Amino acid sequence: MSDNLRRYALWQMRDFGRDRGIALLIIGLALGFTFVSPVRMMQVQMTEASAKQLIMISLQQIVFISVFIGLNGIVSNDRKMGYYRFLFSKPVSIPAYYAQQFVIYFVGFMAVMALLLGLFAFFVYPLSPLGPLAYCAIVFLSLGGIAFFISSLFRFDWPILAAVFLGSALLHTIWQFSDGWRKIVLAVLPPLNKLTSLLGTILDKGSVETNDLLWLFGYSLLFFLAGLFVLRRRPVA
Amino acid sequence: MSPHPSSVIEFNSATKVYRSLLGRSVTAVEEFSLRVGEGEVLGIAGPNGAGKSTLISLLLGYLRPTGGSVTIDGREPRAYVENNGIGYLSELITINPNWTAESALSRFGVLAAIPPAERRTRVEAVIEQLGLEEHRAKKVKALSKGNLQRLGLAQSLLRDEKVMILDEPTHGLDPVWTQKFRGIVEGLRRPGRTILIASHNLDELQRVADRVAIIDKGRLQRLVQTGYDQTAETAGSYRIAVVSGGEKMKEIFPAAVDHGGGEFEIPITNVADLNAAIAKAIAAGVMLASFVPARSVLEQQFREAVGENNS
Repeated sequence: MSDNLRRYALWQMRDFGRDRGIALLIIGLALGFTFVSPVRMMQVQMTEASAKQLIMISLQQIVFISVFIGLNGIVSNDRKMGYYRFLFSKPVSIPAYYAQQFVIYFVGFMAVMALLLGLFAFFVYPLSPLGPLAYCAIVFLSLGGIAFFISSLFRFDWPILAAVFLGSALLHTIWQFSDGWRKIVLAVLPPLNKLTSLLGTILDKGSVETNDLLWLFGYSLLFFLAGLFVLRRRPVA
Repeated sequence: MSPHPSSVIEFNSATKVYRSLLGRSVTAVEEFSLRVGEGEVLGIAGPNGAGKSTLISLLLGYLRPTGGSVTIDGREPRAYVENNGIGYLSELITINPNWTAESALSRFGVLAAIPPAERRTRVEAVIEQLGLEEHRAKKVKALSKGNLQRLGLAQSLLRDEKVMILDEPTHGLDPVWTQKFRGIVEGLRRPGRTILIASHNLDELQRVADRVAIIDKGRLQRLVQTGYDQTAETAGSYRIAVVSGGEKMKEIFPAAVDHGGGEFEIPITNVADLNAAIAKAIAAGVMLASFVPARSVLEQQFREAVGENNS
């Protein structure tokens, strides 16, 4: 990574905060409120078990939506808006620029999630945010590679990203006990099914199945590298 | 092919064909060959859709040729840009509208690898040079077209680049800044720097460029030397305005066309003939007010190269 690009990280962080971070925070707060307020209105005494239950229900939705908002257009926005023209007439490697952007989006996303979980711990129940934060990181890193690849390939990436995420989640549900070619298709699709039960395992056992984790990260990494390859080989205009 | 000793930019039979998913194809650049030397200012002129923007995108490595090759300093353009950078002003000034003018320049200064100790000074220098002092804190979306153009030009001047590409640099500038732009380009000239300027403004190219490549339908139609040569065939005509002695003009210039009001158009084949004719007129007692080319040499060549319909 060149010095100029490393120095530019601060600007990328600023852009994330303004363009996505605030939106993520507002959406997270709004969604979190819709889950927390009915429980509080019932004036039920919050226990650790019920707080975990609440986190399990709310966080899964918040995290998936936030990852989608956080990652769509990570590459394609610059192509769509034409910002690449001035950015990449400078001595900058295009794949390195977007790889750094991905890392910064991850850090920004984690900061927003930490803030939301901190607010939950402060206002709702003092639950350790470490387990839920680990889950957030796993979801981002598992879906991130796929989103990065799609964004590097298509200008209008969000409908494709939504179709891939929703489609694979749907097929994993309806074909989960199938054999033959359907099983092969499921093996190729993003392993979103492995994420569904993950949060419960993290909150209950404080650990995750290593094989599942390797499969999720391996799948995502493969697509992330494919995205970098596309950025290296394919013209940006 | 090894590069010409003094050439920095080389197009060797470069071709770019755009293909759609449905199999339709459009040839934007075809068999384009040209060498641009060190220290040269090359103009690129052509009608809309001639292939100018595609040529520039090929040169920046934003597109890859489907045939032939494009090199800068003997390297593939993307590799050259990633290592050296290019001073580039695009026709469309696409800068994030939420950035302020000053922060945009600071960011581009960081990406351009200007050392941190010099960056502030460079940003200040281009802000002053382009008259952006009162607009520095404005967001890009609040800038007028002319100021946005100046901001685009400012970011291209941040670093002392060896290669500069300016696409429609005076687009949207008022006459004062258009004039100042010529001074800026003159200031940018130096032996080791190569400058490409694409423009619709032939008068501007005539003034700032050493040569002008006229392109149309993706092909190089003509390469015009912009300087005057006393014996070179200009095949043009001049408009001469006289204060008195107009009645003698027809005797001196039998082919002159009288436009009335003391204005005549006379066909001239070269600069030497023009001078001889003017001397003859003055000697005959004609008092001249002005004489200007009816069409510049470049305009004449452009019209011939791309046809009257396109011009």
